[in-house]
Amino acid sequence: MSESMETVFADATQAVGDAIIELEDVDKYFGSFQALKGIDMKVGRREVVVVIGPSGGGKSTLIRCINRLEKHDKGHVVVDGIELSDDVRNIQEIRRETGMVFQSFNLFPHLSVIDNVTLAPRLVRRMPKNEADDLGMQMLERVKIPEQARKYPGQLSGGQQQRVAIARALAMQPKVMLFDEPTSALDPEMIKEVLEVMVELAQGGMTMIVVSHEMGFARAVADRVVFMADGQIVEVGTPEHFFTNPREDRTKLFLSQIL
Amino acid sequence: MTTATDPRRTLRHRDVALIWARHNLFRSRLDALLTLVLGAIGLYLTFRFLRFVFINARWEIIGVNLKLLLVGRWPVAHLLRIAVSITVLAFWGGIFVGLIRARQVRRGFADLDLIGWQRIGDLSRRFGLLIATMLLVLALATTVGPWLVALGLFIAVLLGRMVGFKLGSVPLSTPLVRLSTLVLVITPFVVFLYLVDAVPFAEWEGFLFNVTAAGAGIILCFPLGILLALGRRSKLPLLRSLSVAYIEFVRGAPLYVLLLMANVSLEFFVPPWIAPSKPLRAVVTFTLFTAAYVAEIVRGGLQSVPHGQEEAAKALGLSPYRQITRIVLPQALRNVIPAQIGQFISLFKDTTLAGLALGILDLLTAGQAVTQQDAYRGQGLIIESLLFVAFLFWVGSFTMSRESQRLERKLGVGVR
Repeated sequence: MSESMETVFADATQAVGDAIIELEDVDKYFGSFQALKGIDMKVGRREVVVVIGPSGGGKSTLIRCINRLEKHDKGHVVVDGIELSDDVRNIQEIRRETGMVFQSFNLFPHLSVIDNVTLAPRLVRRMPKNEADDLGMQMLERVKIPEQARKYPGQLSGGQQQRVAIARALAMQPKVMLFDEPTSALDPEMIKEVLEVMVELAQGGMTMIVVSHEMGFARAVADRVVFMADGQIVEVGTPEHFFTNPREDRTKLFLSQIL
Repeated sequence: MTTATDPRRTLRHRDVALIWARHNLFRSRLDALLTLVLGAIGLYLTFRFLRFVFINARWEIIGVNLKLLLVGRWPVAHLLRIAVSITVLAFWGGIFVGLIRARQVRRGFADLDLIGWQRIGDLSRRFGLLIATMLLVLALATTVGPWLVALGLFIAVLLGRMVGFKLGSVPLSTPLVRLSTLVLVITPFVVFLYLVDAVPFAEWEGFLFNVTAAGAGIILCFPLGILLALGRRSKLPLLRSLSVAYIEFVRGAPLYVLLLMANVSLEFFVPPWIAPSKPLRAVVTFTLFTAAYVAEIVRGGLQSVPHGQEEAAKALGLSPYRQITRIVLPQALRNVIPAQIGQFISLFKDTTLAGLALGILDLLTAGQAVTQQDAYRGQGLIIESLLFVAFLFWVGSFTMSRESQRLERKLGVGVR
């Protein structure tokens, strides 16, 4: 989608196409520490946004505010037309529409792989068991490990576990996928297998927000790259813009450190 | 050991033993001295103990009073009900064993490699002690009834296991699964009602009281303890402080004191005609007491589950209730099985306190009472009696402990 696009986005609120996620002036405090400072951001349908930045800069907090793992203190968060409020039904509805993949996988160790994947469809979507099992196997095929369905998470490698985690999130057939540093806890040789799955997902048209330092991934599939530091969005642009011609000094400094 | 083995092999075995002994028992002069002295003391004590148990002890006091010790003054006319009940429970237990086995086979981690003698060896390690105890008690029995019951039990367990395995192996329709689950769950209650119909619970005595009070206490304290643990972690201040207050109060009071209070102070608060019978008071006290300990154990388990588990459950859209019941609790409870079973073993043994505190003729009180019978008074037979009492409790506790270790290993398969 982005290959031909030469636009440099001035700010993060100009989504590609119509927006499925909108954040408006979002603040978040942990005690007296302000983790997010007036974040404005929009993500369009089928858009892939990669969020980079130094640790402690608010990247994870940002995506955790989208499915209410963290409660924002000010501003508005709207996902697919539903505004996050204290209404539990709204929260549940948004969580059903957003899948999340964690740095530490967070698979359920007491359930087999297939049960990890089918748990939410069965409990939340009330899908009958055999139907959910079919769906679960489809998802496992999508992440290329259907043969591991009967094993337990503890018997899999890190890369396999993270792919199961992706399948688990996909099984709810979400409209948006949130990735919180999905490859940071992996050994180098396993990063590739996870990224391949994510690239396929992106090419399949999934809306994704990915917190990651995998520049190769950003270059390959990101429509926009967002650079965050100190709880603020410092710079937004296409991957080309970012890696060839960053505007802000902070961005240049950060890129010079990680590349 | 077979005698017709290759001489070289036996020699080698003996060498291994010698090397082991030299290495572990006679390494230095001090080691050798300690080994000899402690060995001599150990042998002497063992000899005295065995001589007492097999030669000097007068076990007829147990044989004659076996019924009194086991079921108290339960009417002889209704003994058949007990026989029927334990046979039904044996069948019921067998079904569970069969179901678990079928599940393991289905999931592909049954120890299928245990075949023939190995399997018999495994089974006898597990149940040998129970069977030996049963045979011992039977040897003391003076009538043929107990032998028939034992035979019935044996057949019932095997049948139950076969039925359970069958049930677990064939796919059943959902209503049938629900029906059989219901039947399995209510069976113990039906058995209880069947017994209570003949003799009210207020008159249950002997080992029967200890076992049922412990069983009821364990079943009832467990959910209460979980609720208290969740209450202590709750975000609602009132619920949290109530839970903390309850747990700390109960853990601060000796069980014996609570039992005495259950005996006397209940009359202050409720009219005597509502006040439940003594065994019931004992069960209520055991439940309330153990629940506080279970709560702390479960809280430890809850803390051992990483926070990410709850977050993952949330992110999938699971309701708060299901986050707890499907994700956090199963892991928390699995992590604390050993502590949990330890608490239940304590409860089982603590049921003897109720005998004294509430004046119930439980196994221990009965064991003391029989030494005051005309035929045995003043003959020092209390030792035989106490040994028998201790042995029964030991068998029960040891079996629980070992089955819990087994359960732990089973649940741990491929999980971490």
